Amino acid sequence: MNAIQIPTAATSRDVIVSIGRLNKSFGAFHVLKDVDLDVGRGEVVVIIGASGSGKSTLIRCVNGLEMYQSGRLTVDGFNMPTEADRAIGGEKELARIRKGVGMVFQQFNLFPHMSAIDNVAIAPIRVRGRKPDEARASALRLLDRVGLHDHAHKLPAQLSGGQQQRVAIARSLAMEPHIMLFDEPTSALDPEMVGEVLDVMRELAREGMTMMIVTHEMGFAREVADRVVYIDHGRILEIGTPTEIFDRPTHERTKTFLSRVLRH
Amino acid sequence: MTTVALRWVHRNLFAKPFDTALSLVVIPMLAWAVYAFAHWALIEAHWQVVGGSFKVLMTGIYPAGQLWRAWFSVATLCAMFGAGLGLSLRPGRAALTAVASVAILIAAALAAAIDVHSGMLTAACAALGIAAWIGTQRSAVDQRIVLSGLLAGVVAVFVVLSPPGFEVWGGLLLSVVLTIAVSILTLPFGILLALGRQSRITSLRVISTAYIETMRSVPLILVVYWIWIIVPLLAPDTSVPGLLRGMAGFALFFAAYVAEYVRSGLQAVPKGQIEAAKSLAMSSWTLNVDIVLPQALRVVVPSLVGQILDIFNGATLVFIIGLTDFLRAGQMILADPQNSGRTYEIYVFLFAVYLAIGGAITYASRRLEAHLARGSR
Repeated sequence: MNAIQIPTAATSRDVIVSIGRLNKSFGAFHVLKDVDLDVGRGEVVVIIGASGSGKSTLIRCVNGLEMYQSGRLTVDGFNMPTEADRAIGGEKELARIRKGVGMVFQQFNLFPHMSAIDNVAIAPIRVRGRKPDEARASALRLLDRVGLHDHAHKLPAQLSGGQQQRVAIARSLAMEPHIMLFDEPTSALDPEMVGEVLDVMRELAREGMTMMIVTHEMGFAREVADRVVYIDHGRILEIGTPTEIFDRPTHERTKTFLSRVLRH
Repeated sequence: MTTVALRWVHRNLFAKPFDTALSLVVIPMLAWAVYAFAHWALIEAHWQVVGGSFKVLMTGIYPAGQLWRAWFSVATLCAMFGAGLGLSLRPGRAALTAVASVAILIAAALAAAIDVHSGMLTAACAALGIAAWIGTQRSAVDQRIVLSGLLAGVVAVFVVLSPPGFEVWGGLLLSVVLTIAVSILTLPFGILLALGRQSRITSLRVISTAYIETMRSVPLILVVYWIWIIVPLLAPDTSVPGLLRGMAGFALFFAAYVAEYVRSGLQAVPKGQIEAAKSLAMSSWTLNVDIVLPQALRVVVPSLVGQILDIFNGATLVFIIGLTDFLRAGQMILADPQNSGRTYEIYVFLFAVYLAIGGAITYASRRLEAHLARGSR
């Protein structure tokens, strides 16, 4: 049985993230097993799977929040250092990679002591060395783009969950990333706020942003994904277009998973 | 009115048989104690001794002709304390301001009874402090400006006080200035130690941990004395004044405690904050200075303010290196055979002043705690 379908869509395009035989363990727990995945520039890849299957860990490897032990991971042309490399340095490559990779977290992780606009402007000022006035002006434009122009001077605690997550997206965009990672961006939201965040992400996809998204929103995945990746127990079982994965899954496990999440 | 009072008494003092019994024992004892103290304080005590030695109690052997320097310091410190309260706390109730004003009036009256000149100046300084408190309550100033203003004030106090020489600093002035200087010095040192203890670099981590644990396992008096005797060994040709050596000892000792407070604050910062900062490619410097420390320090500000009280009370130990702090100044006055019968007057006065200053610091710490808790929702 052919466990991994080699994607053809990405190889023909400019590849921005290239993962080959990647292995990652937390101590004795083998989380990611020989993962192969290429993401093309401008592509939207949605990663689905049961909780604990390693899908969050996979995208957290892409910006170095998790360390991997063996395999190959190149992002934007830079080699991601392995755990062994990072024990003796590798900070420079890491910083270079992270400048081009934005990340949006399940728990928003906005800086609670800064207003929305400062949350967005701080990284361009401190990391890119932009002038504070210019950075705040572009921060305001970004906040406007996610529909939060009027909330720019509020603290995160004064914003709703959906608004906080939109600020978090603007904060990542402020670094002008080449790829955006989304780690269950709507899982911590009240149901009525999920839509406003998905709208922003939809807009980003339309503008051609490369995105790797871990989500349980299957309707959204079907709509925006170029490809859907199904991970099961740390292995990629299936990669395909939304139609292939959702309508004609080949694996028994994929079918079981989809029948469970699509029932309601 | 009387019914309200009676109901309060019934509910709080005589609600149950045990309460009643306790109240019947405690209330007469308290009443007797208060009566005895009031009788002594108002009729038997000879408070002239406090008035006569006021200058020594407050400034030690600071030259009488240079006392304007001390007054300048008092005024500056009062204004800074007031402004600090006004800027860091939310506007208090009007009643509180009224109570403070009345307290000043009483203090001024008492001081004037002892010595008109210094009484008026005391009242003026206190009024300046309260004016600064009220005046700054509703203004929003950038924290950086506030902090540099406070720092500039402290430096000004030092510069103005120092010309007559550090050896002549004494009394309450010495205790207060030492407390302020040490509180400020411990902060950067303590933060660095706390960060060092969490560092990924093993040597830094080991040195920081060893330092903190060593300092925390020895008594303050030992560290102060040790620094005092070791500095001349390290720098034989220069004479570092005892006061500076004392401050260094205090700062080195209390920095270890600051480091532990800061560490608890660092641990309170959620992991997601660090991940977010890293995902934005922040360097570890930016991550600490802009993201982690502001959140960590916010948590520990009440503890740090509380530690100022520890430093102030610990300052009584500087007598061991020959300095004359407030308590020591009181004892020196009692050493004069003329004043030998006035032990109680002097010690009650010392007690009252320590209580007033300690109370003010505790109050500020409590209010800050409540204020910061509200800010973080």
